[in-house]
Amino acid sequence: MQQPVIRIKDLTKYYGKAKGIEHVNLTVQEGEIFGFIGPNGAGKSTTIRILLNLIFPTNGSAEVLGMDVIRESKRIKKLTGYIPSDANAYMKMTVAEFLAYSSRFYFSGNSGRKIRELTVLFDLDTKRKIADLSRGNRKKVAIIQSMVHNPKLLILDEPTTGLDPLMQQQFFELLRKENHNGMTIFFSSHVLSEVQLLCERVAIIKEGEIIKIENIDNLRKKQLKKVFLEIEGEIPREIATIAGIEHIMMNSGNMLSFLFSGDINDLIRTLSATKLMNMTLEEPSLEEIFMHYYK
Amino acid sequence: MISIRLYMNGNLMLNEFRINLLSFALWLILICFFVAFTMAFYPMFIENQSQFMGLFNLFPTGLFEFKGISNFDDLFSVLGFYAANNAVYMQLFGSIYAIILGSNILLKEEYNKTADFLLSRPLTRSEVYLTKTAVMVFYILILNIIVILTGYLSIEFVKTGPYDLQSYLILSLYTFLLNLLFGFTGLFISTLIKRARPFTTLGIGIVLFMYFLYTISKITDEAEKLGYISPYRFVDANVLNPDYALNPWFVLYFAGLVIFLALTAFFIYKRKDIYV
Repeated sequence: MQQPVIRIKDLTKYYGKAKGIEHVNLTVQEGEIFGFIGPNGAGKSTTIRILLNLIFPTNGSAEVLGMDVIRESKRIKKLTGYIPSDANAYMKMTVAEFLAYSSRFYFSGNSGRKIRELTVLFDLDTKRKIADLSRGNRKKVAIIQSMVHNPKLLILDEPTTGLDPLMQQQFFELLRKENHNGMTIFFSSHVLSEVQLLCERVAIIKEGEIIKIENIDNLRKKQLKKVFLEIEGEIPREIATIAGIEHIMMNSGNMLSFLFSGDINDLIRTLSATKLMNMTLEEPSLEEIFMHYYK
Repeated sequence: MISIRLYMNGNLMLNEFRINLLSFALWLILICFFVAFTMAFYPMFIENQSQFMGLFNLFPTGLFEFKGISNFDDLFSVLGFYAANNAVYMQLFGSIYAIILGSNILLKEEYNKTADFLLSRPLTRSEVYLTKTAVMVFYILILNIIVILTGYLSIEFVKTGPYDLQSYLILSLYTFLLNLLFGFTGLFISTLIKRARPFTTLGIGIVLFMYFLYTISKITDEAEKLGYISPYRFVDANVLNPDYALNPWFVLYFAGLVIFLALTAFFIYKRKDIYV
């Protein structure tokens, strides 16, 4: 049987009396790109920091690559790469010095070839000081340092903040390539679209608790959309009976919005009897997705 | 050698040496300059002995007692002059350097927000703690050795007669133990801080307060017992006492406190939640 790369059991962390996470359970299999999504302060970073032994759990346990995150932290970190949400590095070092320093923790020599490949890919000037880099370029440095040692597991905490869309695309291509070569990826984000783009399964976390662990294909099948309608005259009562409609909000006498996860053709058929002034379909916000899962 | 390979990390150690080199060099230059500069006044001091004696007689003897001077004549021996005027540089400035170094060596990773990077490398907390502590002890030791050499050369240069080198070395050893204690005090306090920020001012304040407490305890009888709170009370600076020797109880005091602070800081750091 395949060994899970991450196994979290009943993990709980309290900061004094404040809840960080509570009874978090999840398993990430080898070779997966696993999304971990939730709003800011939901407990994503807390979970990741426990996996990396930066903080200690109040209760529960976690294993990475079959090893306990507290007792065997050093061995885990040898096989794990990590991109923190804030890409901070030693400001007085140049990019080259920092990457060489980082790689010497894994290799006795300098893993120059891999560093060169990645700095070329990300178009990074290695002679510049970290302090002089933009936020986006610092993020690139953080991405490179996390991959230099070809880790088995890559843990990403909001990795795209600061990256421009073109660089995000290149980064996602790199992640797909590394995943194809066997790397397991744990991708934490508050942006649903990028998680949907990359991940196979996703765990949704809110207020420190896992609400749902869902296959991304199932999530897509649900095609959750936010629909705005502006109707001339009265809003037909049949709308509320269409399968897949939830959280209807009346904005005014002839305007309404709702979340829709049903067949869009059913909706259009029902609406064909009314005179529409306007209709828009949008990606729902995270909060709205959470509302959907809370129902 | 095997244990060093197991419990310390060479890459981290070299980086720590590099990062802390500049501040070490500045403190070293400052202290050595003061030591050599002050000793350069000794020949002039001897030449004008009678005028200075007249001046000192206006002061109570106790004023100098805490510097190891029980009699004003002692000030005119080269070692007495050193103990009264020069030893204080290392006892104060050296201790300030040590407490700043100790307070920053672990904590700077947190307030500079590099702790996530460092602690996600394949290192145990023990390796990080032991490597950084070793660098701290190394810099305090090297600072002491170079200042001892500077002091020795300065004394040799201005001396007018023989002096007891062993007494000089014993006083220097007390100073090293004092510096080491302040270094570990800084390290210990830094492990207690949850939301990391530098506490350089507090560190300097602790050293100055302890020195002030000891000075007061020597000058006024009412405050004598207060002196025992200060580690300066356990630095025997009475170098001209014919029986001057290393007091094993004082050494035990320093060693015991250093070991206690080092072990407590170690266990706190091993279980500390790191935030950036």
